[in-house]
Amino acid sequence: MIRGLASIPLIAFALATPAFAQAYPPDGPSIPSIAISEEGSHDLNLQAPPPPKGWDQESAWNIKVEGFNDNQGRPIYQPLIVNQNGREILYLGNLAGNLLNPLTGKAEPNGTSIIDVTDVKHAKYLFHIPGPPGDVGNAGAQMVRVCSGDVLPHGEKGKWYLLRAYGNVGPDEAHQIWDVTDPAKPTLLTTIVSGLSNTHKNWWECDTGIAYLVAGSKSDGWHQSGSAQHLKIYDLSDPKAPVYIRDFGLVGQQPDADIATAKSCEAAPGPNCYEGIKNPPGGVHGPISMGTTVNRIYLPYGVGENGVIQIVDRQKLLSGCTLPTASPNCAQSPTQAELLYPQVGFVTMNPDNGGHSAMPILGVPMWQEQHNYADGSWQKKNLLIISSESTANNCLGQAPHEAWILDITNDATPWPIATLNVPQYPGDFCRKGARFGAHAVTEAIYPPYYGKIIGVSWFNAGARIWDIRDPKNPKPIAYYIQAPNANTIASCATIDGVAHCQNTTMNDYVEFDDRGYIYAADRAGSGVTILSLTGDALKSFRPADPLLPAQKH
Amino acid sequence: MKPRCFVAAAIALLSLAASSAYAGSDSETIAADGRQQVAKIIPGQSTKADVQSLLGAPWRVVQFNDCGMAMDGQADETWEYRGADASGGYRLHVEFGDNKVVHLIAKIPDAIPGGAATEAKVAPSEPAKGMSM
Repeated sequence: MIRGLASIPLIAFALATPAFAQAYPPDGPSIPSIAISEEGSHDLNLQAPPPPKGWDQESAWNIKVEGFNDNQGRPIYQPLIVNQNGREILYLGNLAGNLLNPLTGKAEPNGTSIIDVTDVKHAKYLFHIPGPPGDVGNAGAQMVRVCSGDVLPHGEKGKWYLLRAYGNVGPDEAHQIWDVTDPAKPTLLTTIVSGLSNTHKNWWECDTGIAYLVAGSKSDGWHQSGSAQHLKIYDLSDPKAPVYIRDFGLVGQQPDADIATAKSCEAAPGPNCYEGIKNPPGGVHGPISMGTTVNRIYLPYGVGENGVIQIVDRQKLLSGCTLPTASPNCAQSPTQAELLYPQVGFVTMNPDNGGHSAMPILGVPMWQEQHNYADGSWQKKNLLIISSESTANNCLGQAPHEAWILDITNDATPWPIATLNVPQYPGDFCRKGARFGAHAVTEAIYPPYYGKIIGVSWFNAGARIWDIRDPKNPKPIAYYIQAPNANTIASCATIDGVAHCQNTTMNDYVEFDDRGYIYAADRAGSGVTILSLTGDALKSFRPADPLLPAQKH
Repeated sequence: MKPRCFVAAAIALLSLAASSAYAGSDSETIAADGRQQVAKIIPGQSTKADVQSLLGAPWRVVQFNDCGMAMDGQADETWEYRGADASGGYRLHVEFGDNKVVHLIAKIPDAIPGGAATEAKVAPSEPAKGMSM
């Protein structure tokens, strides 16, 4: 029975999942229920990951290639796949650069790619929305979110809206909204806010319109180490008329913090302290809100060093500056108390690792705890999958960057219960060129996968998938490492006085769509590969089966 | 169009092309007679203007400063040119530091058996560095 199920094409699960029927974040507040019929990965007798092939070859384990698009040779940061009324559209936020757009015949600064992936075997590049002109160092449009006008409280019915960062580190970056109702003919709707620097990964609640923008500015007075960015929260429920709500960050980042004299809040709690181990704390990378019902927002700070993971009460965050007791400048320059008011909990990481991603997986059955603990009933936990970003080629000068599973069942006291790791060997990844280490965690909620498998991009070690049904003992179940191609940007390093370059792909993000396809986006310009699970990996999200020996325990 | 006007227009177009930092055309490969020009690019000395003057506009420009972090080397700008010789296709990879001066240059074959490294030229003062992208 199990063997038979494993041979069912992935698309069969997609057929059982009505397109756009779900109202999970960011489209709604529901959280998928994670069935307890599975035994956990222990019963699968999964094989250990096989060693990858040579550095110049594609390697795939329990995964197969379904489709590909070269993205015009532009290096990709973030993929997002949206079911637009039955049409599957892939949006790609690109890193800074400049390249020919064959559709227009013109060189265009890297911006947002729009690709129709309805037929994954014939992905069609529809449009490139250029990034900012001028100095390439200011360019790129790395982050993208999309909401339907049917879901946004004050959106125009039938419309689709794209939220993107515009530029990155220049002096006048922005966040924009585009009308992508016709994804082949996007039009700029509005610029939400400009005069920013260090824009980064936003989150947009489509059902409420609340957007958590990530950016800083040269003049707002906020303090951050490393990546100089914090939250700027807007009400985009009417995409044509953005409404500013407030700025937010960690204690120690607020404009009135005296960073010259601030001390650790842990060692010396007081009115002038900073959370974490870095003064001022590193910037936020990308928040995830689980919506109005869960009422929590998960915030990773630090990116690749001195990290902090923070959990915030959503309602208190949004309403805090409207309280009668709020200070006059609460929105733009909150006091320490006003930053603490919505904070539910935080955990400090070590100096070598930072918070890049923080993806909540809520209500996961703990199969090892179903008996012999508590009252013998199924125990469930809330989890947060976090990652730290590797930032050095050839591992030079850095500790390993990995991903972890935190137990946030008590969200005031997050605590790690497992590590998601890719070993350096086999593969000899530190000598392969480019970066080796964790980057980003999958964020899309696809119910058959949710709580069962998770993907983490691992740069030169490819897209990595784990079975997390037994979250204290996660098991690798699939990986895909793209081979370099004619568009792969070489990665260079100088080690022991010798400079060298290697053609190496770097999986920047791995993401799911609502059909179960997996997208591996390459940071080194090699394109985006569309994948599906095969073999033992399919068993990790098999549907409930009464014949399975779940009741034996 | 009168011949004089045609020449003027052609010169104007050529000037425009030369002044554009990023042309990004597949046809813009390094010509056979341009390979000698590559040897004139000196890490630690040559500027963006020098490289553009020698080789024209690059096929692709990239920069990986994704988080706005001041990470070593992440602000480096890379220019790539396509070329071909008897061994097959290759890319000329030129990295500029924050001072817009070449700090690394390498001729990288499109296909390298086993994915082995290709040696690059850097300025003599180049420190150990692993964060080129």
